[in-house]
Amino acid sequence: MDVNVPDARLMPATLAPPAAFSGRGRRFAWTLLLLAVAFGAVPAAIVGTGSSYLAQIAITTMIFVILSASLNHVTGTAGLLSIGHAAFYGIGAYAAALLSTRLGLPFIVTLPAAGLIAALFGFLVALPTMRLVSIYFAVATLGIGEMIYVVLLNWVDVTRGPMGIRGIPPISLFGWQADTLLSRYLAVAVIAVACVWVLHRLTHSYYGNALRALREDDQCADSMGINVERLKIESFVVATFFAGIAGALLAHTSAYIAPDNFRFMESILILAMVVVGGLGSLPGAVVGALFMIVLPEALRDIGDYRMIAVGATMFLSILLLPKGMLAEGTALGFVRRSFSRGWATIAGGTPVGWK
Amino acid sequence: MRKNAILGAVLGAMLVTGTAVQAADREIVIGYQAPLSGDRSQYGEMFRNAAQIKLEEFNASGKLTGAKVAITFEDSKDDPKEARNIAHKFLDNSKIVGVIGDFSSTVSMAAGEIYAAEKMPQLSQTASHPDFTKLSPWQFRNITTQAFEGPYNADWIIAAGMKTAAVIYIQNDWGISALDGFVSGFKAKGGKITATEAFNPGNRDFRSILTKVARQKPDVIYLAMFYEEGAAFAQQREQLGIKIPLYGTSSLYSPKLIELGRESVEGLHLATTFTPDNPDPAVQTFVKEYAARFKSEPGMFAAQAYDAVGIMLDAVAKAGPSVTRESLRDALAATTGYPGVTGATSFDPVTREPAKALAKMMVKDGRFQVVTGP
Repeated sequence: MDVNVPDARLMPATLAPPAAFSGRGRRFAWTLLLLAVAFGAVPAAIVGTGSSYLAQIAITTMIFVILSASLNHVTGTAGLLSIGHAAFYGIGAYAAALLSTRLGLPFIVTLPAAGLIAALFGFLVALPTMRLVSIYFAVATLGIGEMIYVVLLNWVDVTRGPMGIRGIPPISLFGWQADTLLSRYLAVAVIAVACVWVLHRLTHSYYGNALRALREDDQCADSMGINVERLKIESFVVATFFAGIAGALLAHTSAYIAPDNFRFMESILILAMVVVGGLGSLPGAVVGALFMIVLPEALRDIGDYRMIAVGATMFLSILLLPKGMLAEGTALGFVRRSFSRGWATIAGGTPVGWK
Repeated sequence: MRKNAILGAVLGAMLVTGTAVQAADREIVIGYQAPLSGDRSQYGEMFRNAAQIKLEEFNASGKLTGAKVAITFEDSKDDPKEARNIAHKFLDNSKIVGVIGDFSSTVSMAAGEIYAAEKMPQLSQTASHPDFTKLSPWQFRNITTQAFEGPYNADWIIAAGMKTAAVIYIQNDWGISALDGFVSGFKAKGGKITATEAFNPGNRDFRSILTKVARQKPDVIYLAMFYEEGAAFAQQREQLGIKIPLYGTSSLYSPKLIELGRESVEGLHLATTFTPDNPDPAVQTFVKEYAARFKSEPGMFAAQAYDAVGIMLDAVAKAGPSVTRESLRDALAATTGYPGVTGATSFDPVTREPAKALAKMMVKDGRFQVVTGP
């Protein structure tokens, strides 16, 4: 990309190696901690309690972490309000389901294929809509989301319409099959972590800065030499690609999919995760997904008032934390410091830029 | 740190709820998953009301000695994602030996895939998708499918001397199976289908469909939809001055149909398994009890749930106080002539499909009345 800022890159070469060292240590500490939770604590809790319920929620959460993080990429970072994300999730799920049940293709093929097919649709949708801004773009994605849902529902010959697709094989890789819930969780978690890592590298970089610039003022960004239209299309394609990946994971972990999984309310749920977590904040998107999946389950015991309690919690969280649980500014500073992604100007000083 | 604090709290909360369930005293539990909130919550509400009446009757009847049965309800919001979570929650609870639900076929099947793999008997009061009972030997249903009802209604219409029909159906799994069932039955008896028109769930404007269909002047319009749409359809038909008689699926059978549709639904014919006017004492007891407790007349959905719970509980009694998921499945499969309010019900031991007798009804003078003859 043509958005690098060479001065900022040159700065640290002459400055403060000790800060870089301590930064590296912290980076490993945080990375290890997050990996330990995803691949240590959660599997340990699943095995320890023998709870398939916990495993199922963990799988759902991981799928929604991908959805929320990818929507955050286009809506939070690039500022294009998309309210049709569930449709691309659906395209990915149907692509994986059809490729594996009709053509017998293995998971290693259907997973990337689902992402690419969703991204292709994302690209086709992006071409005519990229000149739209703010609410107009949102309405366009709403319309397209509904169109895709209706096609899934009515194109009975291919999608079997509302009957859904049954008998989708579980995740398998070179003869190994994820047939227990724990192995299914681990497979989904590996893919989810990889997806979030890619989004992290895209967002927390000068490329991410360019996306944030066009969100703040696309004309200004354009005048600075940023190819606004290309960047918008790229961010939308990236987001739809990951939505497709999430869809493939849903198809292969649940064995049965139907258009009901990809209703408009699902798009709104994903958007709520992004907003509650913190618009533009990748750690926020992850926390938001966790919050919005786990909270309704944790509140099951209160019975009829469950969804009211969930709504009230969301309302309060937006009222008290309008920028989200992990606001964008805080999140960027956190990533710079704790993952050693920024250049420290002086020892112990506030890190700037990206490396 | 904050993120991990949240993670920790969440995991902690789950562990606590997990152990709390296991700490309950000795009893046999049936899981019931239904939409208790969201768009379809009225159905879930009816199921829960009916289930509570049946459960109390059963525990008071003394059919099962040495154990007490309880029902745990979970809200699926008619969402496949929630249904999967509930399925695992029920499976984790070793006290639960059988599950009733869910409401729609899609959601029932999403959970059904899990019950099939993990060997839990599942009895849905309403899932009519042809594939539902084909998932595994663990799936049962207490609703006659459209493959049974469609030809039954087709025979009825042909016997009344009507030879051409237009079909209006809701575009979902159930609607398509209702269409297939009726069309194949009607054609087999020499009838002619003039048009089949689908509408998407949530649609309430049928004027264009009505105008289009009426142009071909069919003898009868056959409605495969639920009462909300049925009432809207009948009203718009009246407004447009179309006089073609209406026949419909049993799903239209609800006091709400008449409440919403008023005079416009007069003359609508349908066949149903349950009618509150049935003089059978079992039906009258249920209707009185339901009306006394919930201040409304039970519809077919409540009756369907009442019998589903009854069938499940009788199977528990048959299997005895040491009932397991396996023995309950076998007992369910052996159900013959269960004397319910929706007619004597038997499960086919191989296909696990229910067989029932249907009652022919029409709306007359603002209420459903049983019709005799064509």
